[in-house]
Amino acid sequence: MTRIAPPLLLLLASYGTTNAAEIDFARDIRPILSDNCYHCHGPDEGTLEADLRLDTKDGLFRVVDDKAIVLPGKADDSELIRRVVTNDPDERMPPPDSNRSLTPKQIELLSQWVETGATWKGHWSFQPVVRPEVPAGQSPIDYFVRERLTREGLTPSPEASKERLIRRVTIDLTGLPPTLEEIDGFLVDDSPDAYERVVDRLLKSPHYGERMAWDWLDAARYADSNGFQGDRERTMWPWRDWVVRAFNTNLRYDQFTVWQLAGDLLPDATLEQKLATGFCRNHMINGEGGRIAEENRIEYIFDQMETMGTVWMGLTFQCCRCHDHKFDPIARREYYQLFAFFNQTPVNGGGGDPQTAPNLVFGSPEQEAERQRLHRETDEARAQVEKSDKTLLGESDGSRAVSETEIKRIRNILAKPLLDRNDEQLSELEKYGDKHAPEYAKLVRDFRVIRKKRDDQHRSLPRVMIMQDMDKPRKSFMLTKGLYNQPGEEVNAETPKIFPPLPSDAPKNRLALAKWLVDPSHPLAARVTVNRYWQMFLGTGFVKTTDDFGSQGERPSHPELLEWLASDLVQGGWDVKRLHKTIVMSATYRQTAKASPTSSADDPENRRLSRGPRFRMSSWMLRDQALAMSGLLVGKLGGRPVNPYQPADVWSEATFGKKKYQQGKGEDLYRRSLYSFWRRIVGPTMFFDESKRQTCSVKLGRTNTPLHALTTMNDVTYVEAARALAQRVMRSSDQDPICIEKAFRLATSRRPTEVESGILLARLEQLKSQYAAAPEQAKQFLAVGDSTRDADLDAIEHAAFTGLCALMLNLDEALTK
Amino acid sequence: MNPLAQQQALQTRRQFFGRSAVGIGTAAYASLLGRDATASDESRTGGLPSLPHYAAKAKRVIYMFMNGAPTHTDLFDYKPLQQKMHGEPIPESYFKGKRFSTMTGDPTGKKVLAPVEPYRQYGESGAWVSDFMKHTGSVADDVCFIKSMHTEQVNHAPAATFFLTGSEMAGRPTMGAWLSYGLGNDTDNLPSFTVMTSVSKGTTCGQIFYDYYWGSGFLPSQFQGVKFRAGGDPVLYLSSPAGVTQPIRRGVLDDLAKLNELQYQEFADPEIQTRIAQYEMAYKMQTSVPELTDLSQEPQHVLDMYGPDVKERGTFAHNCLMARRLAERGVRFIQLMHAGWDQHGSITTELYNQTRDTDQPSAGLLRDLKQRGLLEDTLIIWGGEFGRTPFLQGDINNRPKWGRDHHPYAFTVWMAGGGIKPGMTYGASDDLGMNAVEDRVHVHDFQATILHLLGIDHEQLTFKHQGRRYRLTDVHGNVVRGVLA
Repeated sequence: MTRIAPPLLLLLASYGTTNAAEIDFARDIRPILSDNCYHCHGPDEGTLEADLRLDTKDGLFRVVDDKAIVLPGKADDSELIRRVVTNDPDERMPPPDSNRSLTPKQIELLSQWVETGATWKGHWSFQPVVRPEVPAGQSPIDYFVRERLTREGLTPSPEASKERLIRRVTIDLTGLPPTLEEIDGFLVDDSPDAYERVVDRLLKSPHYGERMAWDWLDAARYADSNGFQGDRERTMWPWRDWVVRAFNTNLRYDQFTVWQLAGDLLPDATLEQKLATGFCRNHMINGEGGRIAEENRIEYIFDQMETMGTVWMGLTFQCCRCHDHKFDPIARREYYQLFAFFNQTPVNGGGGDPQTAPNLVFGSPEQEAERQRLHRETDEARAQVEKSDKTLLGESDGSRAVSETEIKRIRNILAKPLLDRNDEQLSELEKYGDKHAPEYAKLVRDFRVIRKKRDDQHRSLPRVMIMQDMDKPRKSFMLTKGLYNQPGEEVNAETPKIFPPLPSDAPKNRLALAKWLVDPSHPLAARVTVNRYWQMFLGTGFVKTTDDFGSQGERPSHPELLEWLASDLVQGGWDVKRLHKTIVMSATYRQTAKASPTSSADDPENRRLSRGPRFRMSSWMLRDQALAMSGLLVGKLGGRPVNPYQPADVWSEATFGKKKYQQGKGEDLYRRSLYSFWRRIVGPTMFFDESKRQTCSVKLGRTNTPLHALTTMNDVTYVEAARALAQRVMRSSDQDPICIEKAFRLATSRRPTEVESGILLARLEQLKSQYAAAPEQAKQFLAVGDSTRDADLDAIEHAAFTGLCALMLNLDEALTK
Repeated sequence: MNPLAQQQALQTRRQFFGRSAVGIGTAAYASLLGRDATASDESRTGGLPSLPHYAAKAKRVIYMFMNGAPTHTDLFDYKPLQQKMHGEPIPESYFKGKRFSTMTGDPTGKKVLAPVEPYRQYGESGAWVSDFMKHTGSVADDVCFIKSMHTEQVNHAPAATFFLTGSEMAGRPTMGAWLSYGLGNDTDNLPSFTVMTSVSKGTTCGQIFYDYYWGSGFLPSQFQGVKFRAGGDPVLYLSSPAGVTQPIRRGVLDDLAKLNELQYQEFADPEIQTRIAQYEMAYKMQTSVPELTDLSQEPQHVLDMYGPDVKERGTFAHNCLMARRLAERGVRFIQLMHAGWDQHGSITTELYNQTRDTDQPSAGLLRDLKQRGLLEDTLIIWGGEFGRTPFLQGDINNRPKWGRDHHPYAFTVWMAGGGIKPGMTYGASDDLGMNAVEDRVHVHDFQATILHLLGIDHEQLTFKHQGRRYRLTDVHGNVVRGVLA
């Protein structure tokens, strides 16, 4: 068993504790019980030992055989305490073979808690959200953050420099760096609302929706292919574009929720509301031969409801497939009751069709115009044939030798309405016409050709998979071990008991479920959402485990602030832009990221928020930033996914040649990362630390490895961006120091110091002499990437500047927001 | 180190857990914390201080994963009764109550199929090995055959995932990721977990290798396997762009470090120090990987051990030689994945391709490691995700199309080297190779044994995710003591 060094242990134990004497059950005691006891004495009835539950109040204060489990005020008479201190291995808890054990500090806490009266509280995140009081005129964020800082003898940091602030907020809200004009405008604006106006401008930018969409796509496991063997391409991108629009138009988050989970069930559902339900269908599809359709179908539904659990409830349901939840009060039965809500679509799980119905045909305006034209022309051609039908036999009558049987057959065909004649019959008419009535034959041929065109076009249109319930409900069963072929007891759609119930008059369908999730009485959706956005802006959620708000999840670092923001989100009409503005306007967010030696050592993760956020940007933002600062970025919104630079053989190697990467051309190479084609079995190689887009993911990856350095130093995208950036600054001035300053500002949003300029200038000179000595290498370097360069620029100079810009793109500061 | 400094170092380590470069095994870590004094191996960077739990018998693993499921009774598990009963229906007692793939359905009436190539005995151990695997036969005295393997999965992807992660569902860390996380890295210029893939020439039934076969699951992503590729750069984005020479790159990196150091002075963010070190490691990889993949110094007699394809990238032979070179350089976990063993209708055809392309290289690798003294502390594993039915899939009168279906109830893997008893067979299947009956070894037992050989108690290497402590062996697994030296 790993033991932590004692000094650290004390440090950890006091971490976040205001007063060692004041023990809080939720903060100090339940985590100990949950981690060490619930596995056998928790909600799972299947593994309950000694019929003893420690996760409920009743269980904890029960008296068994005259022995109280917990006797408030009397640690010595409490069985719980006796069992954790005894040296008798048969009695000791947790049992020595459980791989769990309590530290002396934890035992002490338990004893103190009992001695001081053993107050009990329900798990915090399942309690109703209560809006805490904030003194008038104070920013609630800053009020609560400072309250904790003061309590712990810390002081907040001053505001970041204007340059760093505009960089931080621009990247956070749009995923792109500020332009030089934007920086300059902000620097000269001394008005008190200068920053607020920047924020308002950014919230209105169309790139705001693109930035917000990325994290949502991670949560929604969005990809452009099915996954698994075969990995067929799908066309869910109209749903992705809808997400961008929803963020840009600031669709209320409660509606954003209802539309995506149940837009199809809204009265007179619009196209957009139906399209939104694509969220539920973004799961992987297994088209492997030999797979059992029903097994697939069940997997898809598990995925749909577990995704809902993570995104809106911050709860992990997966374990309930087989047994009651080990730590949270969710029974296996309740899992399958939630499952029943999603179990009603006609999808049967068979095959690997990436457009499996129910779906929505989704053409571009051009495609729609084409579709209408083809429909019209088909109708016209049909009318022509119908009009001439009676002439066929009339014209050929008697003039040539025609067998009676043939005439009879033709007559029978003609007796049917045109649309009921199959292709074979039409072909027969055509052949007969060729011999006896060439004009009629041509009409039939024209009709068949145009109709085929129409049908082919119809088939080629993108179809977005959406939700739709069957008229006749499907029965749902508790599946033993989650196996499709082992149904147990039948269950009906119902929400878990621990939460407020569905309205009694509500139909038990997805729409009621979705509305229930965002009902103001529901304790989780607002908390979980606010927490995820806090993670987005400040780097870590109040609850670090963004995907687990259950008893095994972390307790919030700033509970009152989380409560306040959650209640404000609901009271403010689920206005996401308002929430984002509240966060970025706070002094907490605007602090400098500079760490004092003590704050860095005491709080390396900055959980107390005594300084501003400073993190490496996501890899997709790094790519977008490189494109933006170099001027290569094509800012077009939406549309089919594109294939940017990627080593040619990555797909074929992974699929033994079955899939070949067709790298895009022109604009396609310079679109925002959001639009890059996402092949599920082998994701885009230029991104690192990103979700795999296989199942729901709400956590941010932020590792630091040599492979990342290789990508940003050597990937064509970055090399070409360095070349374009060099060209951009060289064209603006013929003075090296000015060019360097401009490139540096584009990369970091601030001016270099004298020392920094000196280092860069010297490096530039060195590069110039290196390339002057090897002009051929300069040429090769400048040839990287598809875009053409300005041939008027001296090749040696341009190559040297490109090398220097590549350096600047890799500065820690350029990689950091 | 004084207690305060030690505490701070530990705390920094904790920070890296959540945020960044824990156990990445890089110069970064070494430069920040100094070499880890608690690790058993002086040269190791990263890893958990409590590991290894006890002295390791193996320092590294080469896992030759034979994807598609090699047919155990045609290769290693000799069953004379199959010969006698060839063409007769398989007795019900062998399969009663068992579930088979949807292709087989109910095995009633399926005919026993004799091995298509003869078997003979090898070495002092007298192991029976088919003529398909003559080279492996010739090293049988160094090998431990486990003939009582069994698994719970009958489809390829879930079964392979089960072997590599302990769960049939994608999303858990793979064995190599667990080892990188737990044991850190013994080299400072190569990743500790590398992967190479191949497929036999002329084989049509290759299963796709999903990248989660070497993924880190819920462990931080720096623990995922680094794929060495068959075409282009061996490691993605390894080569500097055209026109950037080594001196140019060096100079740029030197100044990059200087400028980043200035940032560190301003922000005191340890992440900046890590980044400086990672760029240095990247630079080292740019030198070490080309040196690693340059086979020009390999003598001909060594190349010959691996067979004729050894110089061709993307072949199993090439990957085997690369595995030896990676092992020599201290890489912890080397995962070679070879596709094409899915002989539903090609026992008499494509199985010859499979064995032609893999038998000599795997035996050559074992011999080469042995002659260099590396076999002692390198664990080699050969095996697939399940076995194949001892009965026929197809028409007994159509020999060219003979095949065997998926079979999870008995199959064979072999292990050799670090800590494994050589020249033995462990466990047994019944007399038709249908069911593991003696000393049965479950996938979790097999995983527990591998961890044990690396000095790890499989019950103690855990990671808390979504409120639960996860481990490679789930809540199962027993070390197979009988195979230990």
